[in-house]
Amino acid sequence: MGGLIPLTIRDLKRWYRNPVSAVVGVIQPIFWIVLFGSAFDIAKFGPAGGASSAFFEGAPDYITYLMGGILTIIGLFTGMFSGVNIIWDRRLGILQRFLIAPINRASIVFSRILSSVARIGVQIVILFVVALLIPDGLKIDHGITAMDIVIIVSAVLMISFIFSSLFSIIAVRTTKMESIFGIVNLINLPLMFASYAMFPPDLMANWLSNVAKYNPVSWSAQSIRLVIIHGNLNGAESHTVLIYMLGLLALAVFMLIITYVVSNKEIRE
Amino acid sequence: MENSIEVENLTKVYNGKVKAVDNVNLKIGKGMIYGLLGQNGAGKSTLIKMLTGVIKPTSGTAKIAGYDLNHDSLKIRRITGVVPQDLTTDGDLSGKENLKLVADLYDIPKKDALESIDLLLHMVDLYDVRDRHAETYSGGMRKRLELACGLMNKPDVLFLDEPTLGLDVTTRSNLWKYIRSIQKEFQITIILTSHYLDEVDELANELSIIDHGKILVSGTSPELKKSLKGDIITVHLKNDSEFEKLKSFKDAIDIKKIETGDIRIKVSNSDEVLPELMGFLSKNQISPDSINIRKPSLDEVFIEYTGRNINAEQEKPDYAKLMMGRR
Ligand SMILES: Nc1ncnc2c1ncn2[C@@H]1O[C@H](COP(=O)(O)OP(=O)(O)O)[C@@H](O)[C@H]1O
Ligand SMILES: [Mg+2]
Repeated sequence: MGGLIPLTIRDLKRWYRNPVSAVVGVIQPIFWIVLFGSAFDIAKFGPAGGASSAFFEGAPDYITYLMGGILTIIGLFTGMFSGVNIIWDRRLGILQRFLIAPINRASIVFSRILSSVARIGVQIVILFVVALLIPDGLKIDHGITAMDIVIIVSAVLMISFIFSSLFSIIAVRTTKMESIFGIVNLINLPLMFASYAMFPPDLMANWLSNVAKYNPVSWSAQSIRLVIIHGNLNGAESHTVLIYMLGLLALAVFMLIITYVVSNKEIRE
Repeated sequence: MENSIEVENLTKVYNGKVKAVDNVNLKIGKGMIYGLLGQNGAGKSTLIKMLTGVIKPTSGTAKIAGYDLNHDSLKIRRITGVVPQDLTTDGDLSGKENLKLVADLYDIPKKDALESIDLLLHMVDLYDVRDRHAETYSGGMRKRLELACGLMNKPDVLFLDEPTLGLDVTTRSNLWKYIRSIQKEFQITIILTSHYLDEVDELANELSIIDHGKILVSGTSPELKKSLKGDIITVHLKNDSEFEKLKSFKDAIDIKKIETGDIRIKVSNSDEVLPELMGFLSKNQISPDSINIRKPSLDEVFIEYTGRNINAEQEKPDYAKLMMGRR
């Protein structure tokens, strides 16, 4: 995979050097957490007199419940920029310089995916720090173990890898920015709402919760959530997280193979 | 002489419709500057893109430094340098960073790379501005940076696709200087496309005229001029009936109307034929607005083989393309 590292570094350089994209990268997670996290009052959802948090799987407040969803959705949304950036390079002519070079062409695409994943990594950290710092923010009473962190980070990175790959595959041949944005608009909202990212299954219509079950966004959101709300997972909980994580891993490997084959063969100037 | 490039029946059809390159055959000797002369849309860039592995041929093949285009693409890319028609450097990176990136893409060891980068920056006179973002460079500077990128891997074969397109006259002749010094210094084969006659005439040791994807004629510039066998007299007439009368002039080798509306009369020797022609014109009561005599030039060669003046329809920017992005 010659070319992968230099191309990834170039992409990250462009990101942190551009003040707008760097600031947006920092502000965006803060917006999410402050706006959504503190806008809803869990107590109003449940039957009068408390026990409301049963709906939210025992979360003390909505921020704590939502954390898994927000982390996942940021992974989803940022993924689309790998596709957008590939099209930009094509339009600016820079892509031709990479096609001329004696490198495996898959690395042109994978460098974009890799840098998206790296950016998400930075955003996770910011998000956690902010969520813990704001008043009435995230509460993790049970403490957090190294294993918990591994689960949270790998869930988000896999989600961002899966969706970066998806949008990159679209970008391999298209020259039109509109195609990417069209598809983003078409699928991002359904992916977000037909999932357990924002609301628990108990608040959903049956059909929706059945659909959401198969949505990888749910798998990631739910895994992170279990870890954040409960910590020290019991047998059944560990089993659920394991299944979800394996699902994400399988999907990520599948996308890796497809992306490699498609980008290596089909990328055009 | 050993050939650096051998093109065999190379064809490119876009989207099953546009035949951009049509069964091209070429042999290009080692160490020369080879010119491909043709108007906009003639297929020059498509040919270069195929030879540099950016796009796949529809049919046919080529050998570059002995490597087969359809099987050894990676090896070919390793030993060729390219300066494409469009800019390919990253405006958000400095000149030096652009060169570093290219060096990394060619796996050039760091120490060698830094040495070459400094050398190249000096050579194209960008050393003093090496740390400025490329987007702040002028057109000529940006093109010189592209040139340096194309030389980063010390290529055996260098492709220059319309290297001076859109540059002003001084910048152009400046760039010619660099191209000549590159050939002298590195002894490499350079393939240069252009729609500027003077550029090809000035730089190329040999050339081909390409039109509608086909190679019409190849040779050295003097050979092609000699092949016209004679001089050209161009007259501008008032109407077509005068043209009909003129057609019966016996001492011409060929009389035809070219795209500009002028009548082009080919004669063996203008000094001898001109008096005859003047007599013929007055006898037939043809009174041209202008009469022009030219010894063979590359202009005339181009008109002879394509039936068009190379400057017709030139310099007209493709507004649709500019507005809508590159395609
Ligand atoms: N990507 C493409 N898709 C379809 N047609 C193309 C494409 N690129 C070039 N063409 C067409 O192929 C022909 C040759 O183009 P090109 O090789 O760019 O010519 P030149 O470089 O000599 O100006 C033109 O008719 C052009 O419109
Ligand atoms: Mg061209």
